[in-house]
Order: sequence, then structure tokens, then C-alpha cells
Amino acid sequence: MDPHQITRRDFLKATAIVTASLSGVSRLSISQAKEEYDLVVISGEPLPATQKALEALGGISRFVKKGDRVILKPNMSFARTPEVGATTHPLVVATVAKACVEAGAKQVLVLDHTLQRPELCLERTGIKEACKGLSGVHVLTVQERKFFKEVKIPKGKVLERVEVIQEVLENSVLINLPVAKSHSATGVSLGIKGLMGLIWDRESFHSRYNINQALADLATLIRPQLTILDATRALTSGGPGGPGEVKKLNLVIAGVDPVAVDSYGVSIVPWYGQNFKGHQVEHLLVAHQRGLGRIDIDQLRILKEKA
Amino acid sequence: MRRFIQTLSLLLFSILFIFATYRLPDWLFADLYLRFDPLLSLNAIFAAREIIPRTLWALLTIGVTLIIGRFFCGYVCPMGVSIDLLDHFFFRKKKRENPFRFESTLRKAKYFLLIFFISAAVVGLSLAFLFDPMAFLTRFYTFFIYPVIITLINLFLDLLRPLFHQLGWIYASHLHFPQPVFYMTAITLLLFGGIILLNRWVPRFWCRYLCPLGALLSLISPLGLLKRRVSEECNRCMRCRKVCPMGAIGENPRETYRPECIQCGTCSEVCPKEAVSFPISFSIGGEYSKVDLPRRGFFYSLSGGLIAGFLALQTPFRLRRGKLQLIRPPGAIPEDEFLRTCIRCGECMKSCLTNTLQPSLWESGLSGLWTPKMDLRLAPCDQNCNVCGKVCPTQAIRSLSLEEKNHAKVGTAILRKELCLVWAQNKICLICDEICPYNAIVFRPVEGYRRPVVIASKCNGCGYCEQRCPVSGESAIVVVPDGEIRLKEGSYQGEAKKLRLEFKPDPGDDKFILEEEGFKIEKENKPLPKTTPHPQKPKGFL
Repeated sequence: MDPHQITRRDFLKATAIVTASLSGVSRLSISQAKEEYDLVVISGEPLPATQKALEALGGISRFVKKGDRVILKPNMSFARTPEVGATTHPLVVATVAKACVEAGAKQVLVLDHTLQRPELCLERTGIKEACKGLSGVHVLTVQERKFFKEVKIPKGKVLERVEVIQEVLENSVLINLPVAKSHSATGVSLGIKGLMGLIWDRESFHSRYNINQALADLATLIRPQLTILDATRALTSGGPGGPGEVKKLNLVIAGVDPVAVDSYGVSIVPWYGQNFKGHQVEHLLVAHQRGLGRIDIDQLRILKEKA
Repeated sequence: MRRFIQTLSLLLFSILFIFATYRLPDWLFADLYLRFDPLLSLNAIFAAREIIPRTLWALLTIGVTLIIGRFFCGYVCPMGVSIDLLDHFFFRKKKRENPFRFESTLRKAKYFLLIFFISAAVVGLSLAFLFDPMAFLTRFYTFFIYPVIITLINLFLDLLRPLFHQLGWIYASHLHFPQPVFYMTAITLLLFGGIILLNRWVPRFWCRYLCPLGALLSLISPLGLLKRRVSEECNRCMRCRKVCPMGAIGENPRETYRPECIQCGTCSEVCPKEAVSFPISFSIGGEYSKVDLPRRGFFYSLSGGLIAGFLALQTPFRLRRGKLQLIRPPGAIPEDEFLRTCIRCGECMKSCLTNTLQPSLWESGLSGLWTPKMDLRLAPCDQNCNVCGKVCPTQAIRSLSLEEKNHAKVGTAILRKELCLVWAQNKICLICDEICPYNAIVFRPVEGYRRPVVIASKCNGCGYCEQRCPVSGESAIVVVPDGEIRLKEGSYQGEAKKLRLEFKPDPGDDKFILEEEGFKIEKENKPLPKTTPHPQKPKGFL
């Protein structure tokens, strides 16, 4: 058993406090109150940091309402253990999943279209194990074309149509849970790059399109309501599959603006031994230019706290 | 009773078959039936010229046969069960008068086959797999039953999917089993179908006339203690003779051809006088116990096997094989020994997690028929799985720990630049690099673009790159057998170390990109000729 595992009591307490502090306030005013920060950056171990991040954002109930269907998109594309840094930490996923359930979500689907054998990915990443026993939470890999649906991308410039996992297109709350890692084609792989785990044909991003343009196109279509970047470890080289250099940063970065979260994520650690800013990552720059979010993190209101 | 044991046996065979996956627990022998098979064991021991510990399990079968008799064919053999079962479905109502005038000659065919296979094995050619029922059935299960069942299950799931959706069964509504694909599905079905079809003329045609394992067991079964006895009550109604599935009852129904009797007890069931019993008897011999082999046939089959084995292993064939080497599964012992030891049961291909293991046809000659090869364009070899060695009944693929197995290099990836999207078309593709579990692919600036290059010393040939390459048709990066490590014994890790191979990469060879004054692979190497533009930043950053 993980020593950081929260007990049910702790959880109920935290939920109670959050709920109490929010009770009687209309939804609009909560979001206004909590939108004083564009980003929250919490340092700490995966579980408490994730909890604290949710709290600081105004609680998960700001995003998840009773009876909602929630889709969590962690990175579990590789059959690697959490230490390798190629996949989202299982406790980050489980904590968010649990919070969603507590907030009254009807269903929480933890989804990814994996690169390696799905059964191994589920096992080795620890995500399936971590979510075991959470009722209403389903960890699934989606590997067959029949589970995808083709849609038009109205704002697409290079990518006009794309096949997306059906559930993502249906009315549901999407929370992106990327891990911070390097990527040999796009520099880094954070939230926006992680969206490629929700589509069927990834190969064409490399072979047919300019991947950076295509990613921005995809980001116009799939817009997560919340992005929680797991930077408890960062795979700063050898990404996206690892093995590579893993830095233990103990950070969880969360926000509603996907570009801002990613842009901040670029700045937290040297990638391949060099420091970069968000606008040096092409797909983030393109996404910013297309109006998908803010890239200049100096202009953001950021809450930095310890869990 | 017999039906019950038979059903149980087929069930056990099927369950062991189902359990042969990468999750196979260490205490479960998925290859149990193959280990129990004395013919396969003899074949492997003779052909490989060494005692293979796993094959010694067959001594148990021999021992029990010596005690009880040829019970194996009537009660245990899953092939026998399949034949009985399908016979019941298709030919139950058929009137089958034995049409063969040369019945007794035909009966000897199985002995000639046995002699042929064993003598071929003595020379070093493994052939028994062609007719061995255990290997045959495992192959049939692997190449036919398994893929077809998965297809049917998936179709069934598709059918029920709307219902699952309605019920809100999330897991069930997304359930889909990866479809295994094998090259030999149709051939295997034809062969198996043929064996069943032969029942049209004679029940258990296969067991009576062809099965070399049955032949082997029948040689020792007359020594068994349980023997058919017919009491004085017998009124010579001949019913027993008519129903005997093996045709083991003589013109005088009180006589039994002992080698042929599988003690199924059908005769005692039908006897109106209840005159037939199978008591313990120590009497040995008698004219019905002997296997009468004509000398000429014996000589022909013996020399046939020797010649076939000798020819198949001669230099011209071997030379050709050397040039057209296949990618063998990790842990496969050196090619010559591998071909001698492998019994072509297909268990490794069944259990293979990714379905990369495929049967070869003529690629490595007759002596390589149905041996496992890796088809890395179809699927890679996963570094979290080592099941192929675990289930190999003759250890032609060694059972290795994961760490060891990942050092058993099967080949080396090479880039075919004229096909590669980056080399030939200047596209931003990095899939091979992205998926490579060993960081064996790095990007180096050439002519203004960063292009993939394979570091051979880090590549163990797993084939993820070959499988994933987005080029349609043939892959732009392929694994060739060059550099493979095949060890009969000893540590692969040690060997890899000796050869200075490193399958656990240091954190990213990508580091080289960052050196200000260009890039060097190793200090002692001369810097590569300068190319423009000069690399300043890692790939992907502006």
C-alpha cells in the first residue's frame, strides 16, 4: 500500500470542506472567484499535490456536475512503469478519478489509444491497479477503429477530418492528464500533444501532415475543460517512450487554458539539457496564434503553493 | 466413464492451450501434453543428440503404458478424442464395411512411418512433427481454432454491443480481443479435415493406420497388465468385432490383437453375454501380441528415413539456408540445433503476445517447415514478454528471464533510406525513434535535416520500428538477422557485454545534439564532416 494513499476519511473531510466553502454560492460566482488564477502550480508528492491543485482551482465540482460523464485522458501509451516517466503517475489519475466520482459524476472513463500492447500498458503503468475499487471508474484502452468516429474539424487548416474516440465527441467533460516529457519530433509532449491519444490515425500526423499544424488543428476540435499536467517526474530526454533522463520535479500544474499549462510546463525544466520557453515549441506557438490559449506565462496569474 | 475421461482430457488440453499466454504462471506447464508425448521426446532427443530434461516427462507415459497398456490412445490423446467426437457428429449413421483388402498391410503403415521418423531423427532431421498427433493438434488449435474462435467472439460482442451500451456496461461495450493471424490456417484445416474425413471409411482411420505415436505405444502395450479376456459365455455373435473402433478383434472374437487394443471397452459394452472383461493378467506373448513387420518394409522405411535425413542436411541446402536466414524468436538456440530440436508444435506462436511468431513454410528448406519465425512487419516482440521460451517443450527456444531475453538479440534494424519519409522526402517523421524501447534510433543532422540513424549496438531487433513505420507496404526500417545472438547455453547478458552491446540505454543519445561545436558520437572518433545548418537545439524546438 502506498504510504501516500489518502484514507476515505481524509477524502470526505476535504470534500466536505470544499463543498461547505462553496455552498450557497452560485456557480458563476465560484468560477469568478477561482478564476483569479490562470494556473495553479503545486509542489508535492503526486497524491497530495493533485488534491491541492484541484482544491486551488475551486474544487473539481467547478468542472464536474452531478450526473456528468467524465473522460480522463492520462498518458498510458507505453508499457512502462511510472519511474520511467513516459506515462502519467497512477496516483494523479486515481486522485482525479476519485474526485470526479465524489463530485457526483455518473461515469468516469479513463481512456487512451495506446501505442504498445494495451493489456501491458494498463498493467505496467499502474493506472488500472490505482483505479481499482473506485466504483464508476473504468480504465479502458481503445484500440479498434469501430470505437472511433470521423468528424470534421471546422477550423482545421491542414487536418480537415479526424477519427476521434466516440465518447469524447459525446456530451462529456474532458480532463486531460498528460505527463511532462520530451519528444523527438515536437520537442515536448504535454497536454496538446497528448490529445493524439484520442484519435485513430496518428501515423498520418508524421507522414502526411506537418505535425505541429495538425496538432493545433486537433486542439481546435478537442478542447479539454481542464488540463492537469503531471510533472511529478519529467522525462527530459529520450521521450516520448523513454528510457531517458528523469528529473523528479514534484510539480502538478493545472489550469483551464491548455496552451498556458503546456507553456508553463516547457519552462519548468531544461529539455535535453537546454532551457526553453513555450513559444519555442512550434505546436504551442501555432496553437497560441490560432487563439487557443495564452503562451506568455509572465502575463499569467499563477498560484504557487506547496501541498 | 471413458467418454468422461476423454472429455476431461480434451478440456485440459484446451485449458492449457488457453493459458499459454504471456501471463502464464511459472508453475503451470502449458506444454504438458507435448512433454508427455514419447514420440516427440524420442525425436527431439535423437535429432538433438542430447537429453532434454523436459522431454523426460514422456517416461511417465511409457511407464503407465507398460503397466496398463495402450490406454493413452483411448482415454488421453486429445487427437483421439477429437476424432471420436467428430466421428460421432458426421459418420455415426454411416455403414462402414472395411473396404480395404490390404487391411493388415495398411496397419503396418504406422510402424513404417515410426521407423522412418526415428531413423531420420537419428541422422539429425526432425520430421515426426508431420504425423505426431500432439504436435498436429496443437498446430491445428493454434493456426485454426484459436483465430477463428477469436473472430467469432468478436462478432458476437459486436452483435451485443448495442445492448451493452443500453445497459451501461462500459467494459463490455468496449471489449474486443486482438485478432491473431497465422499464415497456415487453411493448410492446417485441410490436413485436419482430411484426417477426420478418413473416418468415413474406417473409424479411427488415423489411429489404426497412420499414427506413429500409436505405433510406438503399441510396441510396448502388449506388456501391459490389463488385457481383454473373453469368457466361455461367448456365443460368437461378432458384435464386438463389428464395433471395435480399432479393429483389434480377430475372426475368432475371443482373440485380441493386443498392440491394437486401446482398452476402450466398447466390446464389453455391447456383448450380450457380458463375456468380455479387462482383468489384470501377467501373461506375456502369444501370437496376437506380436507386431509382425515384413523385413522389406522395415528396411525400406529405415533406409528411407536415413536417406531423407542425410539429404536434407547436406551442404547445398545448408548453404542456401545460411544466405536466407530467418529472424528466429529470442532465445532460439543456434540454427542447426534449433532445426533439430524444434518439434513444430506451434505452442510458441499461440502464446506469443504480439502475434509476431509465424510458421515458416519453405523459407528455410524442408527441414525448417513450420518452424517459428518473427514477422516484424506484422508485429514486434515485446520486451515485457518471454513466454515463447517458457512454453517450448523441447527448449529449442530457451526459457529465459525477461532481462536475459531482452539481451537475446534477434537481429539488427537497418534503415532503407530510399523508402524513409525523412531521408527520401524530408518529412518530419520520428515514429521509429518514438517507439524504440532501447533508444537505438537517433536523429543526426544531414543535409539540413535531422534524420534517423540506427545505433546497431543498442538495437536488439525487437522490430517495433519495422512494425510502426508509416510507409505503406514494406517498411523503411527492417530487422535483418545480422548480429543475432544464438546461444545453446550460458548468459545472453554476458555475451552482450562481451560484444559491447547495450540494450539499456543511457539517458538519451540525444545529448550529442547539444554540444556547441557540432556533434560527436565518441570522443576518440573524428568529428563528422560539418553540415549546415549547424545543430543548435534539439529536434522539435524553434
